[in-house]
Amino acid sequence: MKQTNWTEKYRPRFFSDVKDQDLAVQKVRDFVKNFPKTVKKALVLHGPPGVGKTTLAYVAKNETNSEIFELNASDLRNKEKMNSILKPAIEQKSLMKEQKIILVDEVDGISVVDRGGLLELMRLIEYSTHPIIITANDIWNKKFSDLRRKTESVQLKEVDFQSIKEILIGILRNERKFISNDVLTNISIKARGDVRAAINDLQTASSLPDPSKVLIDERNKEMDIFTALKMIFKGKPNNALLSLYDSVNKPLDEIMLWVEENIPLEYHGEELVKAYDALSKVDIFKRRIYRQQYWRFLVYENAFLSYGISSSKNPNETKSGFTSYKKPTRILKMWLNNRRTEKKKSIAKKYARYVHIGEKRALYEFATVKAFLTKPEIQKELKLTEDEIEYLGKETLSNKI
Amino acid sequence: MASEIWTEKYRPTNFSEIFGQEDIVKRVQSLTNSLNIPHLLFAGPAGTGKSTMALVIVKELFGKDWKENYLELNASDERGIQIVREKVKNFARTKSIGNIPFKIIFLDEADALTPEAQQALRRTMENYSSTCRFMLSCNYSSKIIDPIQSRCAAFRFKLLEKKDIEKVLKNIGIKEKLEISDGAIEILYEGSEGDCRRAINLLQSTAFVSPIVNESIVSTVISNAKPKDIRTVLDYALSGDFQMSREKLLDVMLKESISGQEVIKAIQKEIWNLPVEPELKVKLTEKTGETEFRIVEGSDPFIQLQSLIASFVLAGLGK
Repeated sequence: MKQTNWTEKYRPRFFSDVKDQDLAVQKVRDFVKNFPKTVKKALVLHGPPGVGKTTLAYVAKNETNSEIFELNASDLRNKEKMNSILKPAIEQKSLMKEQKIILVDEVDGISVVDRGGLLELMRLIEYSTHPIIITANDIWNKKFSDLRRKTESVQLKEVDFQSIKEILIGILRNERKFISNDVLTNISIKARGDVRAAINDLQTASSLPDPSKVLIDERNKEMDIFTALKMIFKGKPNNALLSLYDSVNKPLDEIMLWVEENIPLEYHGEELVKAYDALSKVDIFKRRIYRQQYWRFLVYENAFLSYGISSSKNPNETKSGFTSYKKPTRILKMWLNNRRTEKKKSIAKKYARYVHIGEKRALYEFATVKAFLTKPEIQKELKLTEDEIEYLGKETLSNKI
Repeated sequence: MASEIWTEKYRPTNFSEIFGQEDIVKRVQSLTNSLNIPHLLFAGPAGTGKSTMALVIVKELFGKDWKENYLELNASDERGIQIVREKVKNFARTKSIGNIPFKIIFLDEADALTPEAQQALRRTMENYSSTCRFMLSCNYSSKIIDPIQSRCAAFRFKLLEKKDIEKVLKNIGIKEKLEISDGAIEILYEGSEGDCRRAINLLQSTAFVSPIVNESIVSTVISNAKPKDIRTVLDYALSGDFQMSREKLLDVMLKESISGQEVIKAIQKEIWNLPVEPELKVKLTEKTGETEFRIVEGSDPFIQLQSLIASFVLAGLGK
């Protein structure tokens, strides 16, 4: 059976297929019909994901029998790229069709990396001979203030859940599949106006023996660290683990501490050795990235920390049951200790200078020398402060031989 | 005013006061007497007289003006070569005081500098060679890049022998009016592992408790000063309790401010005393070596050490 993606298969082809966006449909229709006699040369479609921004551009293409030229987030859009790719497209006539529509998709993605890209885009808009459609999620971002002035902006709203449900029912009918009304309602609500997400959920649900399962996994939601740890430690190693940490809202360095803390709760014996060996490699790659500024190593760091740790478990044993994962405590302990040993360090520093050794060595020898550092003559020699003297006093009392 | 810290109070101030390292003393002395001093590289373990040698040289050369003509920097303290350079430049800019046409910069623990920093240092050495002589000390000369080594006259300091440590301790004993038993000397020497500074510090700690220095007091002082908990860490691991072992390890490292490399050194020594099969001792040593390598390569010694104690847990199971 041919595996097709329903979001593509059921993408609206004509204006009449587009549900619940009447105002936007009207504006796009007028824009492409009246171009170049429109007030502005470009139209910005903005709104949340999955409401039909890109779709509307393609619908406009179908309705006017035009050709479309698309530039999206996957292309790097700096000034040079804009000039070398977009400029010819804007200047040249369509080869096959009557008209050409220029689509600059996901303009939010033009970032600091694409320096000058946005400015160049606005310059090109000025003399374009083809209608330009731009899509954006957040048009109110400060970087778009000039763009807002140069273009006509059209807002697409979140599609209401009833309309989404109608779309879903239409698809199911066509696919000759059945899903209970409750599940359909749930999918429609959970999509929060995002039609694409709803259709994806529907397709997943229709292939499951128990479609209600699909509701457990909430899209776009950040995964908490506990769930991630559970997937690493309890589950069988699988390729999905490689991108697991992308959806955890913690930096990799912190995730590493979580993994470190919890390995011994799950693994024993050989597993323990393997898991820490993987973690040890993570640490080495981390240092290499830092030293050589070679960020490709991040791939390995991530792979060892996810798949590597997961595959350390004995494949013949299942890790069932609930584990109460613990928060990493090491950093806190180190911090507390640093505060406790601050005086020790300042004393060691003075001592080190005085006897011509390094501070680290002085700290190492501290246990040996601290007894006689309580001698008042020596404290005077080292110019110890009252605080430091008090610290030494306490030390010797508690360590009396 | 004489210092009350014995390592300073009894630090040799001229060549004749130095015990041990006879060959080096002879060669350095003749260089000093000829007033023709090249850059010097002192390699050897801690407490064998490298800094002392540098101080004796400058005192012999400059007499009472030595402090004005001598800059001592510790590469493991001074953050980055930039600061070293800055200080060196400022020091080297002015002329030396007295008859000697150069000043002396002593860079202690120079092997703490990265190879890149050493390259920069090499340029600095060249730029100021007319006004400054450099003396570098390090534990391992292999960590000093070749271009620097080739610009220096190198001297290898050996661990002090028992007879030398004995002379040093007895000399102090007489001056401080202590009663040191022969057995105590033996134990002090063993505790010092040939490190003269440590031997003197141990003697002063013991004398702080009692002027009669006998075996039992020395033993108590030494065992009190040792990070003995490393054995506890390993015992927990061998008994299968990884979590306690790990907790204890962190505890020791934080409380005693000891570095990962010091821990691994202690573990490596302790392996031979563990109640495991000879074959396992070799295996564990291999793993310890690998871990030490990874500590050098990695960023977080504690993670590397955890990986090591996991192997000890396995060894406890006879694997």
